[in-house]
Amino acid sequence: MNLELGGPGPGCSAMRVRRLLAGELAGAEAERTRAHVEGCARCGQVQREIALEQEALRREVSFPAFAAGVAEKLAARPRRSVLSRWAPLLAAAGLALVASALVLRPSDTETVRSKGAGTAQLFVQDQAGTRALSAGGPVAAGARLRIALHPAGRTQAAAVLIELGETSVLYSGAAVNGPLPQAFEWTGQGAASLLVVLSDQPIDAAKIHSAGDAPPGADVWQVQLHR
Amino acid sequence: MNVKGLRVLEGGRAGALSGPPSSAGLLAELYERHAAAVYGRCRYLLKDDAEARDALQDVFVKLLQALPEFRQADSPTAYLLRVATHHCLNLIRARKSQWRDQLRVLGATRRQETEPPERRELVRVLLAAAPEESQEVAILYFVDELTQEEIAQELQRSLPTVRKRLRQFLAAARAALLEAMPDVILPEGSEL
Repeated sequence: MNLELGGPGPGCSAMRVRRLLAGELAGAEAERTRAHVEGCARCGQVQREIALEQEALRREVSFPAFAAGVAEKLAARPRRSVLSRWAPLLAAAGLALVASALVLRPSDTETVRSKGAGTAQLFVQDQAGTRALSAGGPVAAGARLRIALHPAGRTQAAAVLIELGETSVLYSGAAVNGPLPQAFEWTGQGAASLLVVLSDQPIDAAKIHSAGDAPPGADVWQVQLHR
Repeated sequence: MNVKGLRVLEGGRAGALSGPPSSAGLLAELYERHAAAVYGRCRYLLKDDAEARDALQDVFVKLLQALPEFRQADSPTAYLLRVATHHCLNLIRARKSQWRDQLRVLGATRRQETEPPERRELVRVLLAAAPEESQEVAILYFVDELTQEEIAQELQRSLPTVRKRLRQFLAAARAALLEAMPDVILPEGSEL
């Protein structure tokens, strides 16, 4: 029996698919790769495997446990410079990740998630540092906000900011795995809602003004902002 | 784009870290962006979830200690997967003698001889049978699916050296398969 062990194919490369999903490709290379992946069963399988990796991480390696392990190993290193440089991480990692868990946890009042696997996370960077925004936590004026996607195999994403009488599209395009390329600042007052939609089909972000406007079967993640 | 209630800020280079996040924020961002791929690589190579979780932490410790190098990498994903591969290959080498048993198990799990073994799993088991210098090249080619030219660029080696390493891997793999799966014929290095 002749057996192929694999290797790159015409236009096929697992690494290129990874880099596309991680937002590391740009311009013509990104377009060319995206077009290829859409019509390639082999690269589609790679996409599914990457989604399974995300699920395995969520299932088996919580961020607090991961951060604690990294901090412990750093602390055990004999190099003083490394320890002193990352010592704040020991205290801060736990804090940031508790906040993360609060945001990701479905809540009837502040954070809402549909039943699908895709989700998102909102990081806030202000004078206190960078952290995942806790559900219900106020957003300071001037804070820099950045959305991170966990698409779980979904290919399309849209993020919109919903305020009274107005909806702004923050992002519309490929469901990249990780932080979106642009941060934003919420300059409004009172309350607003940040809505992230993850879908297997194209999303018309301009038509999304509530979770009910998401395409059928889409994953929807929503967090309330207020100040 | 600036509209009511919203100001879009300048973003960083795709795939790169930007801004001055705190240590915890940085680790959180690195985890969100890269931990799944690294954990996937560690699980694939080590075949043990507990070892893979430990290796995941080790890889990120190495990353935090080499942040300037990481930030300069053309592809953060490729950089981190290489660190993970290196780390796991070192662990595999420490238990090199196990590959014969693993190969026998893999051969026995085939329901019949006409059924091909799972390709990536076969590559993984055969790694320990191959010379050390060929192992990373085999991962880059058969798992990450880089072309030989891309591997040469990634490892800063000549193209003939990359081809030689692939031939070494295949020769070792063929020898290892003679006993456990004599019906399986691998391609020649010149066929890749």
